[in-house]
Amino acid sequence: MNLREFALVTFSILAQMAVGSFLILGVVHFFVKRTADINQADQMSDRALLAIVPTLGLALLASLFHLGNPLIAYDSVLRVGSAWLSREVTFSALFFVVGTIFAYMQWKKISTPAVRNGLAVLGALLGLALVFSMSRIYMLRTVPAWNTIVTPLTFFTTTFLLGTLAVGAAYVANYRYIRRKDLDCAEVQCTLLHKTLRWLVITAIALLGIEFVVAPMYIAYLAALGGAASNTAGLMIGQFGLVFALRLLLVFLGAGILGVFIFQNASESQEQKLGYLTYSAFALVLVGEVLGRFLFYATYVRVGI
Amino acid sequence: MSTQLGFYFNSDNCVSCRTCVIACKDKNDNPLGVNFRRVISYEGGTWLPHPTVKGVMLPSNIFVYSVSVACMHCVKPICVEVCPTGAMTKHDNGIVAVNQDKCIGCRLCQQSCPYGAPQFNEVKGVMSKCDLCQDLIANGEKPACVASCPQRALDYGELSELRNKYGEGNSIEPLPDPSLTWPAVVINPHRQAQPPGQGTGRIVAEV
Repeated sequence: MNLREFALVTFSILAQMAVGSFLILGVVHFFVKRTADINQADQMSDRALLAIVPTLGLALLASLFHLGNPLIAYDSVLRVGSAWLSREVTFSALFFVVGTIFAYMQWKKISTPAVRNGLAVLGALLGLALVFSMSRIYMLRTVPAWNTIVTPLTFFTTTFLLGTLAVGAAYVANYRYIRRKDLDCAEVQCTLLHKTLRWLVITAIALLGIEFVVAPMYIAYLAALGGAASNTAGLMIGQFGLVFALRLLLVFLGAGILGVFIFQNASESQEQKLGYLTYSAFALVLVGEVLGRFLFYATYVRVGI
Repeated sequence: MSTQLGFYFNSDNCVSCRTCVIACKDKNDNPLGVNFRRVISYEGGTWLPHPTVKGVMLPSNIFVYSVSVACMHCVKPICVEVCPTGAMTKHDNGIVAVNQDKCIGCRLCQQSCPYGAPQFNEVKGVMSKCDLCQDLIANGEKPACVASCPQRALDYGELSELRNKYGEGNSIEPLPDPSLTWPAVVINPHRQAQPPGQGTGRIVAEV
């Protein structure tokens, strides 16, 4: 894999992780606000929110390495009315701007919670539009393996799976920080963390299930299509079969096996153990999803000559 | 009615000499690996055991022919559809060309074109492709490939006129299904040519 392809893998994975984290963080914040109170919800989420902006910034930076002529990269928004790549770039930029403004306002508690909520919802919609545009770029009628519903489906699964586990890891890190600093909210935060982690793990296992159902069906479907599509299926189980298996294994170990351990340990007060489990689950799934995205690009087969 | 220029290729006359490839490369001063015009040789057939003589094989349906391909200046050009900057455009005369000053080198046109027409220039970091030698035809000259062909297997002109003159054929194996992009091309099939998507042979030489 050369630098240009690696740039695309980095960009798409980091951007999807940023969008997924933003959405999951928002959903958790919403429910915690309902059951506990808004200060506890902020205490839990604010530090994690700050990490999303640099993640997306890194993604955008990586995307430049994909271009042959990055000096005029801003021109890529010109055909926003008709080209999906232009839309992707536009939504990336808008999500970055709205996300940054929201994170800053939330951190400094500028304006009312209602205004900040409005911004957060806008950011979430822009993020969803970004992932959708990203998947539409690849739905080319000349690349039959990409031109299926599986492209947006897997992109969104990756988005939410990485979002769930990244946010889980961030909550654990945040809690350990609170413990270390001996802030007075530690007891409430401990309960919230345990409860949230359980829900996150259930979500991750459900998403893992989708990946495991989709993967074999997709390969069978491609093989049945014949032509360029079945060449993609052949590459996936042939030349790249090991990567394909490793990818599924890592995601299974991370979200599945470690997920069950996290669920079991969530109620015990062994923060260190819980921390290692959550970080490992996130790391394993991240590597698995990176391999999956690599596979997506590596098994590209176009019709024609 | 806007015009649509295009190429004509007579597969039956082509002897796979690749003079067109070299003339094109020379005219456009293209680096190694970049060939706006390519000649793709396609062959097939099999061997059957001799009915009476043991150990002797006889050729059966053996064929080989070549297709000279450049940009098809498609009526529905997917390269233009996907281009995020508008560097890739379809002109009023139907020619699809890339403006290198506006290209960011994302290579999506290369990934999507079923004819492999847009090609990446590693030196300039931008895409490059056949523009039907607009500069030459503006002076009343022929495109470099058409002028060079010793077999008179290539021609160019207004698509409707080409069709009147040479017929409606626009695809043979191993070219893609023409309904994908509506190529502005007329192809006279080789006498052994197979229809697209139903070929029994394989590509043996590209470029």
